[in-house]
Amino acid sequence: MIAVLLLLCAAALLIAPRALVRIERLRRSPRAALFVWQALSLSAVLCLLSAAPLALVHPHPQSTTLEVAILVVAGIASVGVLVRLLLNGHHVGRRIRTARAQHRQLVDIVGRHEGAHTRVLPSSELSAYCVPGAGSRLVITEAALTALPAEQLAAVVAHEEAHLRERHDLVLEFFTVLHTATPRWLRTDAALAEVALIVEVLADRAARRDVGEISLARAILSLAEATSEQGLTPGASAGAGSAATRIRLLATDDPAPWQTLVLYLVCAAALMTPPTLAVLMGS
Amino acid sequence: MAKSVSLGDLEQAIMDVLWAAEGGLTVREVLERLTGRDLAYTTVMTVLSRLEVKGVTTRERDGRAWRYHPAATRESLTAQAMRSPLHDLSSEDRQAAILHFLSEASVDDLDAVREAMAAVEARGDRPRRRRGRGAADSSA
Repeated sequence: MIAVLLLLCAAALLIAPRALVRIERLRRSPRAALFVWQALSLSAVLCLLSAAPLALVHPHPQSTTLEVAILVVAGIASVGVLVRLLLNGHHVGRRIRTARAQHRQLVDIVGRHEGAHTRVLPSSELSAYCVPGAGSRLVITEAALTALPAEQLAAVVAHEEAHLRERHDLVLEFFTVLHTATPRWLRTDAALAEVALIVEVLADRAARRDVGEISLARAILSLAEATSEQGLTPGASAGAGSAATRIRLLATDDPAPWQTLVLYLVCAAALMTPPTLAVLMGS
Repeated sequence: MAKSVSLGDLEQAIMDVLWAAEGGLTVREVLERLTGRDLAYTTVMTVLSRLEVKGVTTRERDGRAWRYHPAATRESLTAQAMRSPLHDLSSEDRQAAILHFLSEASVDDLDAVREAMAAVEARGDRPRRRRGRGAADSSA
């Protein structure tokens, strides 16, 4: 019984992202929104992981065939999720760290060293990014340095520094691991794109505090214009249209405190669900 | 500790010397051109072989010495860094590995971006109440 409930609960939580990506209001409280995404994901994982152990501890009281069937399904869910998450977490983590290390090496060699962690690439393209992790780098091109006015440059740097300071890469890595560990027919790319967008909005909030929304919005526009002039190949679905979305979000007001409060209550409820189910049904 | 930082700087300085030189350079020649740095011959030799392991230099025999060349021009290495830094990765991995201020994928409609910009300009910068956390010295 308890195992069935947990599996149903997990199924509901796995469908939740499809609804969550439609609630655009969430982007206006990015920090709370990220907590909601993380809480729902964690809760789904917890439900799946605890299904088999709890089915073993509290066997179904009725027929033995049903008992066995439930145990098998729960077992497949729990063990499968555990194995997939561990393996995938290992592979994704290793791939990301190797790629970062190689890229750090490259920018250290071709880039001009500006202080301990800033590298200026001798490129005529406008670009700015950060390589997070141990030995993080803030990379900006020579062209961006010359083309962007001081206040836009400050906006770009503040945005990237916020990524590094708040370790947004860990959030993205967490979701990348969950996303790629989820079977293809269950997951939705829109969810990962939404989380990536919210992470950008979060860094925008930090930059906006430092330089104001006009400078930040102009910086986004400058980079967007340069990117389309350079005729760079637009990527697939990842964060499509987020330049306009990010600027639009800069013009909106912060959400009312009650909205943020509701989001945190949702987080708490999601995280409480698996243990509550286990305790209530098990007793 | 501090040494690993300066090692990166040294690699870069050595590559600059190699890129500036016509043809290859021996360890001795690299050492001579690294002016203003008090370096041991063995240090330069070590860094050059590290760079070779990384694939950014190549070397050839010249009598009894090795002559080091940059494996690629600075321009092509830069292009490599700009174009396909993470070409081995899937798009999901790439998103988490490096965080772009604005990723190429996120610009598909410039008109929409300009329209949004106009809305921000129309409203203007607004002073914000800041929660008392950290250095709050830039509030309007």
